[in-house]
Amino acid sequence: MKFFRILSCFIIFTFAVVLPTHAKDMVVKEPPKSLSQFYPPESKEPKWIQQMHKLSTHFGGVFINLKEKDFANVDKHADQLLEEYKKTSKMVPEWKDYFDIKAAEAFTQAAKTHDIAKAGKASGGLGKTCGKCHAEQEVSVWAQFHWPRFHKIKVTDPITEKEMGFDDYMSTISSSFKGVTVNFGEGQYGRSAKALKIFKSRFMEMKSTCSKCHTTDDVKLFYVGKIAESAFDNLAKELNAEKPNPGQFWKNVGLLGKTGCKHCHLTHRTASFIQETWEKE
Amino acid sequence: MKALKLSTRLLNLFTALACFAVAGIATAYFFINEKFEWIPQTVLELAREPDLLKRPDAKRCSDCHQAIYDSWKASRHAISWTSKTFIEASENRTKEKCLACHIPESVTGEKPSPRLDRRDEGIYCVSCHFRDNKMNGPYDLVAPAHPTFRNPEFVRSEFCGSCHQKTFKEWKNTGIDDTCQDCHMPRIKSRLTQKFPFSLLHKKKWVGNHKFLHGDLTEKNILMEAEFRNNYFTLRLLNKTVPHAVPTADNGDPRLYLYITFFNAAGEQVDQAKEILAPQQETALAFNKAVNFRYRLFDPVDHANVILKYQPAWSKEKQTIWEKLIRP
Ligand code: HEC
Ligand code: HEC
Ligand code: HEC
Ligand code: HEC
Ligand code: HEC
Ligand code: HEC
Ligand code: HEC
Repeated sequence: MKFFRILSCFIIFTFAVVLPTHAKDMVVKEPPKSLSQFYPPESKEPKWIQQMHKLSTHFGGVFINLKEKDFANVDKHADQLLEEYKKTSKMVPEWKDYFDIKAAEAFTQAAKTHDIAKAGKASGGLGKTCGKCHAEQEVSVWAQFHWPRFHKIKVTDPITEKEMGFDDYMSTISSSFKGVTVNFGEGQYGRSAKALKIFKSRFMEMKSTCSKCHTTDDVKLFYVGKIAESAFDNLAKELNAEKPNPGQFWKNVGLLGKTGCKHCHLTHRTASFIQETWEKE
Repeated sequence: MKALKLSTRLLNLFTALACFAVAGIATAYFFINEKFEWIPQTVLELAREPDLLKRPDAKRCSDCHQAIYDSWKASRHAISWTSKTFIEASENRTKEKCLACHIPESVTGEKPSPRLDRRDEGIYCVSCHFRDNKMNGPYDLVAPAHPTFRNPEFVRSEFCGSCHQKTFKEWKNTGIDDTCQDCHMPRIKSRLTQKFPFSLLHKKKWVGNHKFLHGDLTEKNILMEAEFRNNYFTLRLLNKTVPHAVPTADNGDPRLYLYITFFNAAGEQVDQAKEILAPQQETALAFNKAVNFRYRLFDPVDHANVILKYQPAWSKEKQTIWEKLIRP
């Protein structure tokens, strides 16, 4: 299995490098409706990916066996590749133009000559069809079928104990953060300290959301881990001090804003932006 | 005279038959319970019900294991796939990472893989018991209907740890001998099957409660000490009896809420505080490790009211565990 995974990575990499799409504008269109029958919940398994693994296995199988001069298996993989490629081309009608059956047949024939150079040359035409579709569709498919929807996650605000959507929670946490910084800027340290307590409990509540998508606790070392915790401790220390040190205060605010908010946004929000655009339409 | 003789004969015949029957039943009882390894395989083959080895639903097992079925049916395991809160959290079961433990193919001591059939059954009899074409279980016994296999894993915490991975680690760290089953599947002496009259041929055995009891939390489990000193109110909680964190979870989000309200001499509320003790926030109460909370008091305080509530993973309702009034 691992071997196939490495192999598929290799093949994708090859396509990405050898067959780039040159257009500078990238359109991230919502994937066609008929694709959803190959993903949960409509399908019990991610059938489309399984189909991709078949294509990639047989494609790779041809070359590996050519090198090993195991020609019986070259022919077997070449035939299976053609068969699976044809099958794939019928799975999503909206995508049928991405497929070039002639190129696939040409590759199968070239492979069956058992001449590695010929096969290599003929693979270009077929490989291009894989690469074009990946370049144009893979991001969309990831956003649609692999990134869970943040806005479907409900969070219970620890202060009011009201349940709210993730977006609303973000707005709430954002104004709590401002409650800390604005008051500090105005020299209202007592109020800033009070706001910090509220902000901290709202911030820590975010830890409860990770397990809605992640199944290991290790991820909590990021964004909501030790760095954030010590920034909160340092902020509290400053605010309880006789004379708070603005340099220290803003340094820790910056740390929280970067590791506690921005880093999570950079890794987790991209898909949200795409999903939101689709859902608005 | 003749009639009397006939009836005596009949009586004798009946007595003889009854003796044979009793002897037969006794022999069957003896073989089934004491010397089942002597029962020839061919005889067993005749009694086998082959559909039992084709991963049937739990209802099918209830044809004989009615009592166990009834408890299982009332357990969270029976609704691990259909639970509303699970469906919501897994975004209508589309998150691939979330399926394995909620619809396991087979429990083997490692994280299971998700199965494709009978998903509505959740974590059911076959998931836990059916392995290598046999019903694995804690006993060395004979079941005419299906092959069985004594598998020592069934009485070990590792078995539950296949899925309750975090809870298992917490338990392991305590060094306590009691297993998950000891507390969550308390055993009573009873019969494994309820199919009259055949079940009577099997000796009573210890049967573990398949409701997988959650256990009630009381003030015996979570001790509290509190005191007013100088301008501070300090409070200490201790999970004294439960050999894993309280609450504990893998992907669920059960919580304890601790509410503290401060009153002045006039009985007016002057301040309040709240703590959330939850595994997902890494604030749950570890076994036998006291946790301290400290609150600074700005106004004169006459007494504090402390309430501890529990909210299970699958509910928004909180249950009060205890409530206490603390005076300086
Ligand atoms: C019509 C569009 C299309 C064509 C043509 C296509 N693919 Fe794909 N392929 C996809 C999409 C979409 C994904 C992303 C699937 C996902 O991550 O759910 C993908 C993913 C893959 C993957 C990665 C699977 C994974 O586990 O992430 C491999 C390998 C792959 N394709 C191989 C091929 C090969 C080899 C060909 C050509 C012989 C090919 N594909 C042709 C659409 C296409
Ligand atoms: C709505 C779903 C969702 C939530 C909620 C979420 N994540 Fe993620 N996160 C993802 C996805 C999807 C990825 C991509 C890799 C994957 O599938 O695990 C990812 C990746 C990551 C990664 C990169 C390493 C990895 O596991 O691949 C980290 C670190 C991470 N998340 C941390 C967090 C933390 C910390 C939280 C809670 C504060 C959190 N995430 C909440 C969906 C989520
Ligand atoms: C788990 C990762 C994560 C962390 C940590 C996080 N955010 Fe977010 N934030 C998101 C995601 C994802 C969105 C997009 C929400 C959506 O699409 O539903 C978002 C959206 C927002 C928005 C826009 C809300 C809206 O109405 O669209 C604001 C403001 C925001 N976050 C502020 C913050 C602040 C301030 C912090 C730090 C104190 C923070 N976030 C920490 C993931 C995170
Ligand atoms: C390693 C096994 C495992 C995986 C993987 C897993 N769970 Fe669970 N889940 C459990 C166990 C064990 C419980 C019971 C203890 C608890 O509450 O966490 C549970 C309970 C729950 C509960 C609370 C009970 C209920 O019906 O509401 C929810 C919600 C839940 N899981 C959601 C998820 C989600 C979402 C995912 C994927 C991100 C997931 N689970 C993945 C093992 C798992
Ligand atoms: C026709 C009756 C019948 C049916 C149906 C049946 N069993 Fe049994 N089973 C028995 C009998 C009898 C025993 C032994 C009872 C005894 O010795 O006390 C038994 C014992 C067991 C044991 C104990 C094994 C051990 O070694 O500890 C397990 C586990 C078990 N059955 C599981 C199942 C499961 C799962 C199903 C459904 C797929 C099922 N049974 C259906 C009759 C049945
Ligand atoms: C195949 C995975 C799996 C195995 C094995 C397993 N469990 Fe569970 N367990 C779960 C899941 C998932 C839930 C949550 C179901 C739900 O509420 O949706 C759960 C729930 C529970 C609950 C209720 C938790 C609560 O918060 O109320 C208890 C108690 C429990 N299991 C005990 C056990 C014991 C004891 C064992 C070992 C004999 C065991 N489990 C084995 C997956 C498993
Ligand atoms: C979460 C896993 C799990 C599920 C689901 C489950 N069992 Fe069990 N079963 C066990 C464990 C663990 C034991 C051993 C209990 C003990 O320590 O006594 C057991 C024991 C048994 C026994 C032997 C008697 C005993 O209690 O020791 C029988 C019979 C049995 N189970 C039948 C069933 C049937 C029938 C079902 C479905 C209605 C079922 N089990 C569902 C885990 C499970």
